[in-house]
Amino acid sequence: MKFRLATWLSLLCCSPALSFTITPEQVAQLPPPANHKIDFSKEIKPIFEASCIKCHARGKDKGGLRIDTRETLLKGGDTGPVVTLGKSADSLLIALVQGFDPDSVMPKKGSRLTPEQIGVLRAWIDQGADWDPHVTFARLPPANLKPHLPEIPPGPETDNPIDRFLQPYYVSHNFLPPSPVEDRTFARRAYLDVIGLLPPPNELETFVSNKRPDKREMLVKELLADDRAYAENWLTFWNDLLRNDYKGTGYIDGGRKQITTWLYSALQTNMPFNQFVSQLINPVTNSEGFTKGIVWRGVVNASQTPQMQAAQNISQVFMGVNLKCASCHDSFVNDFTLADSYGLAGVYADDPLEMVRCDKPTGQKAALKFIYPELGNISPDADKHTRLKQLAEIITQREDGRLTRTLVNRLWQRLMGRGLVEPVDEMEKTAWNQDLLDWLAEDFASHNYDVKFLIQRILTSRAYQLPAVNLGEQTEQNFVFHGPAVRRLSAEQFRDALTSLTGIGYPSPLADVVPVEPEQKRFALAVPIFWIWNSTNASEKAKAGHVYFRKTVKLSVVPQDATAILTADNTFTFYVNDKQVGSGNDFKNAYLFDLRPFLKPGENEFIVDAVNNLAGNVAPTFGQEPPTGSESPAGMLFYARLRHFDYSTQKTNDIASDSTWLCSDTVQTPWQNGSSARAASGPSDIGSAVGAASSDMANPPIAWTKASKLGDPGMIPWRVTKSYLSTKIASAYPGRIRASLVAADPLMTALGRPNREQVVTTRSSVATTLQALEMTNGETLDDILKRGANDLLNNPAMAKKSLVPTLYERALGRQPTGPELELAQNIVGKPAQPAGVEDLLWTLTMLPEFQLIY
Amino acid sequence: MTRRDFLKTASAATLSALSAGFPRQLGGASVPASRVIATEGEEKITPTADSVIILWMAGGMAHTETFDPKLYTPFERGLKPDQVLSTFPQIDTVVDNLKLTQGLENIARVMDRATLIRSYTAGDLGFILHSRHQYQWHTGYAPPQTVAAPHIGSVIARTLGPRNPAVPAFIDIGQRFDLGEGEELKAFHTAGFLGSEHGPFIVSNPEEAAKSVRPPAGMSPSRFERRDTFYRKLVEESPIGQLGSDYQKESLLRSLDNTHRLLSSPAAKAFDLALEPRPIYDKYNTGRFGLGCLLARRLTEAGARFIEVTSEYIPFQYWDTHENGHTRTIDLKKSIDAPIAQLVLDLEERGLLNRTLIVLASEFSRDMLVEGKPDNKVKDQVKVPDVIDELKYYGMHRHFTDAGCVLMFGGGVKRGYLHGVTADERPCKTLEKRVIIEDLHASIYRAVGISPKLSYEIEKRPFYVTRDGLGKPILDLFA
Repeated sequence: MKFRLATWLSLLCCSPALSFTITPEQVAQLPPPANHKIDFSKEIKPIFEASCIKCHARGKDKGGLRIDTRETLLKGGDTGPVVTLGKSADSLLIALVQGFDPDSVMPKKGSRLTPEQIGVLRAWIDQGADWDPHVTFARLPPANLKPHLPEIPPGPETDNPIDRFLQPYYVSHNFLPPSPVEDRTFARRAYLDVIGLLPPPNELETFVSNKRPDKREMLVKELLADDRAYAENWLTFWNDLLRNDYKGTGYIDGGRKQITTWLYSALQTNMPFNQFVSQLINPVTNSEGFTKGIVWRGVVNASQTPQMQAAQNISQVFMGVNLKCASCHDSFVNDFTLADSYGLAGVYADDPLEMVRCDKPTGQKAALKFIYPELGNISPDADKHTRLKQLAEIITQREDGRLTRTLVNRLWQRLMGRGLVEPVDEMEKTAWNQDLLDWLAEDFASHNYDVKFLIQRILTSRAYQLPAVNLGEQTEQNFVFHGPAVRRLSAEQFRDALTSLTGIGYPSPLADVVPVEPEQKRFALAVPIFWIWNSTNASEKAKAGHVYFRKTVKLSVVPQDATAILTADNTFTFYVNDKQVGSGNDFKNAYLFDLRPFLKPGENEFIVDAVNNLAGNVAPTFGQEPPTGSESPAGMLFYARLRHFDYSTQKTNDIASDSTWLCSDTVQTPWQNGSSARAASGPSDIGSAVGAASSDMANPPIAWTKASKLGDPGMIPWRVTKSYLSTKIASAYPGRIRASLVAADPLMTALGRPNREQVVTTRSSVATTLQALEMTNGETLDDILKRGANDLLNNPAMAKKSLVPTLYERALGRQPTGPELELAQNIVGKPAQPAGVEDLLWTLTMLPEFQLIY
Repeated sequence: MTRRDFLKTASAATLSALSAGFPRQLGGASVPASRVIATEGEEKITPTADSVIILWMAGGMAHTETFDPKLYTPFERGLKPDQVLSTFPQIDTVVDNLKLTQGLENIARVMDRATLIRSYTAGDLGFILHSRHQYQWHTGYAPPQTVAAPHIGSVIARTLGPRNPAVPAFIDIGQRFDLGEGEELKAFHTAGFLGSEHGPFIVSNPEEAAKSVRPPAGMSPSRFERRDTFYRKLVEESPIGQLGSDYQKESLLRSLDNTHRLLSSPAAKAFDLALEPRPIYDKYNTGRFGLGCLLARRLTEAGARFIEVTSEYIPFQYWDTHENGHTRTIDLKKSIDAPIAQLVLDLEERGLLNRTLIVLASEFSRDMLVEGKPDNKVKDQVKVPDVIDELKYYGMHRHFTDAGCVLMFGGGVKRGYLHGVTADERPCKTLEKRVIIEDLHASIYRAVGISPKLSYEIEKRPFYVTRDGLGKPILDLFA
């Protein structure tokens, strides 16, 4: 025997040498073999599991060595056998665990083997390395992958199958389910879960007084049928999951794309989930943002290229597994390998991707495949379009039971506070009631992947109607389902609840969403609307420059809803009563505004400062005569609906752009140019202009004349359809834009709305001090409460005496108790004071009863 | 437990301990997201500082115009850009052989308390994008990342907790987020996966800092108290109370209670610059940045753990000099020179400098000609004329990443020490003792007693406080 440490070998290849010989002196240093018969399962298996299989089994074969079975162990690795049967002192395995060569001691990570363990290994090899054939360290077949339809346990036919699955579970866990929660609690849960809003008092009372035995089921169905409210609630859930937002990194230079229009419509039409997923994986118009990812300019780590982002996000969102580790190296937390990640990422690449391991290029190209090859193959030679189609088919096929289980589990977690499998992104784990998960997934798939059906299935179970339990103390191991957890309103639900309570919503949506029939029918434009300008042939050509339009509107009270849509060719800034309402720069888009904060009783002045640009869409310089030949079409289009209603009547007042508007192209003194104050001449840095935003109308125009009617909205060159306009104005109904449709503000951010730079599958719900600070003295909430208190006191329909009970009904869905009424009336003041109402509003919204879902 | 009992037992605990500690803090899973992982071979570090103040020169501060003087070439029409290494003459400091540039006379007088690094080298991130380099400077990682990377201030806040329970552990002063690249700035002004209770507490305008710890505008202290009393009574009256306690409810009540205490605590006065004696206030008052330094001093006294004061990043503003570099740098120096020197002296006078580490830094430097590094040039972002015939072209307008200055005071670093050498000829690049972000972070962490190998678990993976745990503290910096 040659006994020499072949350390030179480690200089030749980058991985440490796995082949060397042992000197007799070293043999003498080895711990002696254990002197008893070795029991493989009791003594060897635990050593392998603790120290070897992370790199040499379960799909991994570092150094070519795989110890899945006795055969693969005996076969050895890249440098030859590691075990010489009967001769442990000659076995490379023993030399490596003993650590003769400090550069290649095994295991590479974690604690060294003890001398006793080495002695056990030696004896095992010396005794012939017996192996229990039932034990394998091969990659296990993935859990929760194949569909499985268990039989529903016996029970009344009329019972929700969920409860029939849970009945034996309760029995075996010695749990006697208490009575379902009372009507008000149930209604609040159902409203918030389905449409994300508090139950309106009148609807709540109708529900409570309803005597039908199936009224809960009916309520759930009715709520689910409110397509729009449903979409605007679940938009938040999906925006988090698909990391879609209206602002964020990447948008500044086109490195990111929204999917909002597609997503909103998919939710509103309840697109079957398999189709939904298919359109995200193999994108259609407006859904490509999900797989496009977020691209920052500059050099990006290989594990974060857009294709790798797509692979990670598809795996996490739809298959409930984490591919992030395996994007740099073979994963330590699950069975996925670098080749798995690149195999999937490559589907999205135009050219084969070279694998990069921990920032070092490997020179190898990964074969295209899905992370679960069991589900199907990707053709390596197919073009990208075909590959995406194949990938979408693989993931959404009926035989993919992971997709359905992952969604069922996410919804169960959302509605019950804890998943059937937890964490929800470790879908290879077993559920606490596996049959229930399996059955719900199959039930969902066999009902045409109908998400609303699945929600209804869960919400109509007795399990959902159990009293809420405190889950804070539960640990993963001993979880037993006793009912839904106490949950907290999401940031968006909290904000929308404030709107229900105070009437103060957001002024205009950032999301470009288009609600569908039939609601828009209710909003046919009631008065004729025309493109207008200051010259009759402006639709063909008009001088470049500013034209101001003015309309005076007389109001007896500030209406409860006041919505305007407005657009101009090329840009506009809109003022009401000298305050800037907003601006726009795309005539194809009708911009939507909530006017209520700007209106007052008496005369109100609307002014639109519209700008016709020079050729090449360049803004004209103020006060400078435009060059001849720079004329282009120009027009302005406006529609507003002001509505005031008390509980019996409703008055609408529609205002449209027509020849009753005045116009002018002259101002009193040179205009303070509000355009860009960009400092640099050659800006290749990105960023919007700073400062000098034209805020209020400081320099009013003079010399008003009558505006010229140009023609219908649909006229050439603009071709804006009336149905688009009515749809757009309908989208504001009831004049209160919901939180899911706007960018995060400080209040929502503090309440846990994530910035959606990463996929978020579970939000934190724990209250923090910084959050409470925002709620206690933050300007966003303070402003809502001040305006809300003011509106309430100025609303003639709100009888002063009923103020406190009304607010209790709106906020908590119940009447105040005697002591509550007394306390509240005391704080409100006699007569009610704005500050008092504001304080009551604050107090109500801070109550656990308001912020939590019981 | 009734509300009253609860308040009694809670009163002694700290802000963060109250709000943290619940399971399911955040993140993709219902496991405690930010569990510390004990790391093998982690040395026990004795901290030399209790708090950290970062003075952020946002936009790229040219080293040859500030803390690393090179040959001065005065402006004249017809200059060739390659003749100009610096547009400021050098000045003496109280330390022999340590020179700065004109306009930093106040700082020059306290350089005997300083450690000055001249060899900071920014990462190679390809295309130069300020917010991306700033992200890397503040988190130690280049974006994008698979998990939301925490700001260094949040890491320190999470690891060490607040020094004074009534003062937020991580306070960020001076940056607004509704301007250019605001979304990119938000991406790293975050505690990321550590959870929002670890900051930052954002004070965009130091003059209005008091507002952030006061009752809402227009609410008198007595009304604020009345509202709180009323709230407590209604909580007790609420039928939900009969359902017993749950962690959601308790965490909400605790957070509000902490806030109420913060707003009525003496520490809140630290936020109010109006309480500062006028002569001192005036010494700091060079504008937002100067007042930010004053606020940082007051908050350090009150017990803040980590403070960042930024000159504010706005594209093409402040240190982001794409033209008029010389004249703008004169103004920039005016805004930082007196307040920084005063901050050092004030902390020293109060006996706090030894335990407060001040770090002045910028995402990269600037040069008149070289964009990126000499051997790793990237696309030029500023056009430089062949001949300088206007004052606006006189200055450092390109983004230079091969050298940069980091100025440190207190908190255990050496006094009057110079670290690293740069070339005296263009390109004025790092020649000796190169310092990279991982090692700079490791040094800051070392000062406060945190190992660079410390990691937090997220999605079952370790996330190290320096990239992959590779940062090595620069021991030379420490006394």
